[in-house]
Amino acid sequence: MVRRVLSLPTGRIAVAILTVIALLAVLGPLLAPRDPLATSAHTLAPGSGAHPLGTDYLGRDVLSRLLDGSRVSVLASLEVALTALVVGVVPGILSVYLGRVFEWVTLRVVDTLVALPFLLFAVAVIALLGNGITQAMLVTGVLVSPLFYRVSRAATLTVARSQYVEAALIAGASVGWAVRRHVWGKVLPPIAVALAQTVGVGFVIVSSLTFLGIGVQPPKPTWGGLLASDLGYLSYQPWAPLAPALLIMATVWASNLLADAIRDVSGEAGRALVAHRKVRAGRRGRTEPAPAGGTS
Amino acid sequence: MTTTLAPPGAPARRRVAAARARHALGRFLAALARSAAIFVPVFLVATFVTFALRSLSGLSPARIQLGEDATPEAIHRVEAQWGLDRPFLVQYGHWFGDLLHGNLGASWSSGADISTLIGLGLGVSLSVASLALVVGVAAGFVLGTAAALRHTTWVDRAITGFVTLISVMPAFVVGIVLVEVFAVALHLFPSGGYVPVAQGFTPWLEHITLPALALSFDVVADVARQLRASLVAAYRENYVTGAVVRGLSARRIFFRHVLRNGLGPALATLGLKFPALVGASVVTEWVFGLQGFGRFANDSAQSGDVPAVQGVLVVSILLVVVFNLVVNLVLARVTPAAQRGV
Repeated sequence: MVRRVLSLPTGRIAVAILTVIALLAVLGPLLAPRDPLATSAHTLAPGSGAHPLGTDYLGRDVLSRLLDGSRVSVLASLEVALTALVVGVVPGILSVYLGRVFEWVTLRVVDTLVALPFLLFAVAVIALLGNGITQAMLVTGVLVSPLFYRVSRAATLTVARSQYVEAALIAGASVGWAVRRHVWGKVLPPIAVALAQTVGVGFVIVSSLTFLGIGVQPPKPTWGGLLASDLGYLSYQPWAPLAPALLIMATVWASNLLADAIRDVSGEAGRALVAHRKVRAGRRGRTEPAPAGGTS
Repeated sequence: MTTTLAPPGAPARRRVAAARARHALGRFLAALARSAAIFVPVFLVATFVTFALRSLSGLSPARIQLGEDATPEAIHRVEAQWGLDRPFLVQYGHWFGDLLHGNLGASWSSGADISTLIGLGLGVSLSVASLALVVGVAAGFVLGTAAALRHTTWVDRAITGFVTLISVMPAFVVGIVLVEVFAVALHLFPSGGYVPVAQGFTPWLEHITLPALALSFDVVADVARQLRASLVAAYRENYVTGAVVRGLSARRIFFRHVLRNGLGPALATLGLKFPALVGASVVTEWVFGLQGFGRFANDSAQSGDVPAVQGVLVVSILLVVVFNLVVNLVLARVTPAAQRGV
């Protein structure tokens, strides 16, 4: 699947951008030329040799703050996506098998979660439960999990009621083999699409929350927090919000692009099978950088 | 001949009209019942979760009112005063009963009536959200329709590109850009604040335009994308081919056949979009310094004022439920497929 995604130009662009962002997250805090928290007398300075992106209202180096904040921002959105994955997929698949009561209850809970104005809920719940990035991400993950529930449930439903699975079982295949051979290929692509989308959504939520000062304590830099501190000094530094805003938008765009690319290469049933084979082939001979970009 | 046939025709026509009206009413009630079957459980679950927040948070009015180093007796007294020493389910029953009477309780920090406080902010937020919806639907409709009608041309590609661009801009980024361009650079609009409509329509509109625009981008993107996809799909349907063969005008085909069938998904997205709109108001109100509903939610949450937060959440759930009911009813009225009960 990784190779199929990379065969599309949009997939290559998406993976390239996400790889850069992932590298920023890993190396960013180390690359920061100055202490992101150190204040100086040069407040609101424009870009120069010493401060490539200028300084903020306390004289802190903006480039260093941007690089230092990248890890929190990226890790948090990954945390959101993974929480949503676990919280959504498990009941989504089980809802097909565990009987009507479980199905009804989970469907109502999911309806509720979809109907909630979730940024409002995230703000409220996080602030009340204690203002930490982990709480914030867990809560947000639960709030965006309905997508995974629906996607995995729909995929499982089509597979569980399909005749080829039945035929394979009648022909004496073990359940494990049927799952590996037929079910994964059907269920994984939509979940991968949802995962890529959720990384994008999670990124918007994380930056919105940090913009409001929720989840991370103020002196610690985040991309959203940088934008918030720029807001009061727009008339002095009109270009200051550009870098963090562009980074946020590029990440979200690349995630959406990746989601579309995955959806494109895993279209019909026949292609899903090919994709499935390629996933297995790819799993054996995969190199390091591709999965790092593919999963982030 | 025709004059002698007319009198017996009139009651028959009236009967048909009456039957049609009954049918329409029945459909309306069915749609209402179906929506209620979905949203009543939603409301119950959501309010229960909201109420459980206090127990989960472990916050207490005593901390807000007495400070960190209060004696256990004083804390106990304050908690008893707020009725927090009763069993959880008793508290919930009491709270829910009050809720149904429109009483959301009193704020822990100020002791003021929460319904009143929320009512103050709601005017601001609803002004902004309604304008955002109007702008979003209008612009999204124009863009989506233009892209679908000029499918696979440069118009389509330009619109799709633009829509992709604005869909990845978070509301606060849009807000900042709008403040920069229209308030700081061009001085066309105020950068923040709010003026009630009672003090003049123009200042009111000026103050809510930028926040509404910031909120509307998401709606524009969603409506345009959804509408484009479903209109393109509707143009491929057999009934469109049939209409072309029958020699109907392009305009009639578009309005009578394509649009009515293609509108469904876009309207349905709108129902799903509304919660996001209410949620994003937290951010835009912060950017534009509006003392609205979202700002109130943020402030109360950060100060640990649990009943106020609960009140905000209940009102937001109620708004979402009512809005979705309306969307479902419109949907049942507009789209032909919904009328057949499909």
